[in-house]
Amino acid sequence: MASLFEGYEALSRYDEMFDTAHAVRPHWQGVHRALDTLGSDALRARQSDIDWRLEENGVTYNVYNDPEGLNRPWRLDPVPLIIDALEWQEIEAGLKQRALLLDLLFKDLYGAQRVLKEGIVPPEVIFGHSGFIRSAFGLFDQAEAALRIYAADMARGPDGKMWVINDRTQAPSGLGYAIENRLAMNGAMAELLGEVNIHRISGFLNAFEKMLSDLSPRRSDNPLHVLLSPGPYNETYFEHAYLSSFLGLTLVQGQDLLGKDGRIYLRSLGGLRRVDTMLRRVDDSFCDPLELRGDSRLGVAGLVQAVRERTIAMANPLGSGLLENAGLNPFMSGVAKFFLGEELRLPQIATWWCGQRKERDFVLENLSNLIIKRIDRGEAQHTFIGAHLNKEELSRLRAMILEYPYRYTGQEQVTFSTTPTLVDGQIVPRKAIIRSFGVRSEEGYTIMPGGLVRVGMANDSLLVSGQSGGGSKDLWIAGVPSVAPDHYLSPMASSVESLEHIPSLRAENLFWLGRYLTRSIITARMIRTSLKLSANLYRSEQRFSESAQSAINRALTHLTMTYPGFLDAQIQRQSLGEIRSVATDAKRLGSLAHTLKMLSNANAGVKNLLTLEGWRIFDRLERDYALMGRAKNSSSRSLANALEQLVTQLMAYRQLIEESLFEGLVLYRIGERIERGLLVVSKVRALLCSNFEAQVQNEVLENMLLSCESLNAYRAHYKTVLRLENVIELMLLDIRFPKSLIFELSELQTLLQKLPKSRGALYLSRYEEPIFSAFSRLRLYRGIKSTEPVKIGGVRQELDTLLGEIGTLLAKCSNELGKTYFSHYDE
Amino acid sequence: MTYDIYHQSSFYYQQMVTFSHNLARLKPRDTPFQKLESWALEVAPTAVMTEYFEDYFGNRIAHLLVREAHTHLEVTARSKVAVDTVALEAHYAAARANVLSVAEALLLFRSADTSIIEVKQYLFSSAMIPGVSDAIRLFALESFTNQRPLFEAASELMERIFEEFVFESGFSDISTPVEEVFEARKGVCQDFAHLSIAALRSLGFAARYVSGYIETLPPDGEKKLFGADASHAWFSVFIPGSGWVDFDPTNNLLPSSRHIVLGWGRDYADVAPLQGVVRSSGASSVGVKVDVRALE
Repeated sequence: MASLFEGYEALSRYDEMFDTAHAVRPHWQGVHRALDTLGSDALRARQSDIDWRLEENGVTYNVYNDPEGLNRPWRLDPVPLIIDALEWQEIEAGLKQRALLLDLLFKDLYGAQRVLKEGIVPPEVIFGHSGFIRSAFGLFDQAEAALRIYAADMARGPDGKMWVINDRTQAPSGLGYAIENRLAMNGAMAELLGEVNIHRISGFLNAFEKMLSDLSPRRSDNPLHVLLSPGPYNETYFEHAYLSSFLGLTLVQGQDLLGKDGRIYLRSLGGLRRVDTMLRRVDDSFCDPLELRGDSRLGVAGLVQAVRERTIAMANPLGSGLLENAGLNPFMSGVAKFFLGEELRLPQIATWWCGQRKERDFVLENLSNLIIKRIDRGEAQHTFIGAHLNKEELSRLRAMILEYPYRYTGQEQVTFSTTPTLVDGQIVPRKAIIRSFGVRSEEGYTIMPGGLVRVGMANDSLLVSGQSGGGSKDLWIAGVPSVAPDHYLSPMASSVESLEHIPSLRAENLFWLGRYLTRSIITARMIRTSLKLSANLYRSEQRFSESAQSAINRALTHLTMTYPGFLDAQIQRQSLGEIRSVATDAKRLGSLAHTLKMLSNANAGVKNLLTLEGWRIFDRLERDYALMGRAKNSSSRSLANALEQLVTQLMAYRQLIEESLFEGLVLYRIGERIERGLLVVSKVRALLCSNFEAQVQNEVLENMLLSCESLNAYRAHYKTVLRLENVIELMLLDIRFPKSLIFELSELQTLLQKLPKSRGALYLSRYEEPIFSAFSRLRLYRGIKSTEPVKIGGVRQELDTLLGEIGTLLAKCSNELGKTYFSHYDE
Repeated sequence: MTYDIYHQSSFYYQQMVTFSHNLARLKPRDTPFQKLESWALEVAPTAVMTEYFEDYFGNRIAHLLVREAHTHLEVTARSKVAVDTVALEAHYAAARANVLSVAEALLLFRSADTSIIEVKQYLFSSAMIPGVSDAIRLFALESFTNQRPLFEAASELMERIFEEFVFESGFSDISTPVEEVFEARKGVCQDFAHLSIAALRSLGFAARYVSGYIETLPPDGEKKLFGADASHAWFSVFIPGSGWVDFDPTNNLLPSSRHIVLGWGRDYADVAPLQGVVRSSGASSVGVKVDVRALE
């Protein structure tokens, strides 16, 4: 059998596995042999195994505007990248030095600015960089260290040395993926691990935890560490959720926090809890809408004040985006001499800063051979590969540089080393970039002996990034004394959530998930009923009367509050068009499509609580139904089918929610009950409070029960023809029937008692009062008598008024819940 | 000359606000030419927390937390400021006598001279003046010929804006880009200050935005109405050898006697008198009432 590596030809001057004589480098030999023994087929199988493991854990990477859908599965190559432990020692020392330097530089730039005053760094590189956050000035004067986490991108240059390409100081991503990669490799590639002793990463994770607890300004037993995330639409949200559970951080969004009296609090179901430390994945300027960007919805007003008053500590301090600055590169060697009296240990990519005349001219002369980078990563494009630009683009770039020379740098275009990678069952060379991580505790910086390796998608791919596809690898530091693998890596216990600790925003989303899901299902059924009547899709002998149809249609308008709708006689005559609009027009408030959109938001807000399966079902139902909405000329029957399918999918989704929610389930249930109550009220008011002729009455009752999926229950229970007083009894008053309004209210009372502020309380809370009152009024109601005089076209005033009041009380309960548990302003 | 200044900034909200963070920049700073003698701040409804701090530019900020339900927030500052007119006149006289040319000044700004580091941050684009069009640059170039003294060139820029632009309120608001103001040839004091700064920076000069007040006088024989004044803004340019020199393009004046400085920054965004963050979906509007009186 041919070797797996036959035909493997390094595309660069340096290959990680093979030396120039095509001999396997010593630190790769065991793994090389093991891979060859496995062979192509087995490796493919391992790839599937890895894919399955990652998918099972929900490892995804969101790609904006991705036609494939929001979540793209994370790719991990079964072949690791291996670095020899001796070489790693050098790299590690270099990274420690660089982290230390950047920390010193950071504190200086936001304080004394000696490097500017003494001419070590030109002020243009700082003042002209959008990451210089003036509100952060002076915040770190007394800090021993400010930069608690550091990440660097490295790649091996043609000289065989590892070079630093980028510094990542603001909110580096990738650590969560690196951990997950290691776990997946431990499981799927055990025989490779048998061939080589590699460094464990658990020590680094311990250092990370220690960093957080060292940082806490309060020496409390139970400090609250949070991870501030921009939310589920962010490209690396998976990682935010993953890291927070791994490191024992509470995952929050800006809206979960409240700044008050110089402190930051977490709003949670149990009340406000003071936050001690923060790791943020929100960019500097978005962290505080008061003192930073006013248009930010991702931060919390008062954060800068809390940092100023040292009541909160940030692992990645405000303003640290300034160090992600290509303009600093040419001056780093001067900075090293200035602060430490040392040379830089790790080489960097040669960089020319255009703010200097000579350098600018050099860059302009060599534009097509260089990579041009803006010093900051602004909103516009910030990297240009000279070799890929045509004449016109080059001259545009030249003009841009000439206009603001200080904003640009030119970097040497380097061919990095290649490393063996499995592509379609073949081992081929791919360029690789390593992201390493460091954390600073009281003992200094600890560098992770491992990291995230990203490989280019195509063999000539220069740029390696998650956004543009490509895969990842685990980084192994090989050749250390025998150590056990990281089998015991596991999320910290403190991430177990109790009801009290659920952040308010998530609680609110759970509540609305219950409401919108219920509303979607009931609305879909009601539309289906209307549609079948209007399009005559029932297989029955008689056509339903027009009066019954219009009563049902009007009920649909009331239920969805899509006024004027069928209350307008004109629209009544074009009923199919109106029904279609209520079903599919997402811009119309109250329409089914609109409700689904709201449901989708709530769904995103609780993303990390649901299983992947739940996600898939939801994605699918959303896509299927949107497709239906776009098909303009589809028949009524296909719309009816789509509704049928939607209801089935929603029911499956509901099943999964109920299975996967633990502590939060009670909030979801409360939302569900309130919504059901409100919709029963609305339906009964529209259909049972008016008097119809006998025949019409009968049809209305039948359809009312059908739309509530209660016709069989009625027949089983009453064994008679449909009678109004019986239907009212069943749908409103029969406490044994799980779809009756009184049952909903009774259940709701029980659920509300489980909330933190009701448990063991002597008096009813403000959100319980309305439901207690609604329950009592309905319980005291005696129904209608069959002997009651009937005036055709008239309204049953007593019942209608009672239901109106119950509706108001339900809405009041919802409001009061929000005030007590979701906003917390009055605490 | 000593002035009594009354400055009330308000927010009107469409919906009830129960929790708001606000930054008030209503405390005049001390400068070599003016001194704040007394100051008082009043907030209605009452702020439960007030934090005072100085920002990066040295402006004095009050951070107010209001937790009473309200639809109208009123922040009122009463300041007494003594302006040293004699020293100011001397400063302008020295600046006028400074013959440093446009070309010489540019050379210095482009150099690595470390004595002007603090000044250099005013060379760059800022939030409200992100970039400058060629049209504005060409407009500025007319005044800034190489051999001309920088002071003279800046004076002419001020004069040209005064002559060629119409003061018209209601045409622009805070978010109107300078390009639009330039094309329409009309705006208010903020616009003229921003336009001048944009023009100066486009040529490579350090320019900053000054917010403050100007005392207005009623027409002869009439009594001055309370609150008839407005907050004011102008620009300042750094002239090596003379320091920062202020110019008021709205009135074609060197602000030497009737101007009181409140604060400065790169543009309006750094010195907005009142800004707030509320969690409410409704719209809000702002109001302002200013009165400046000279004390005998």
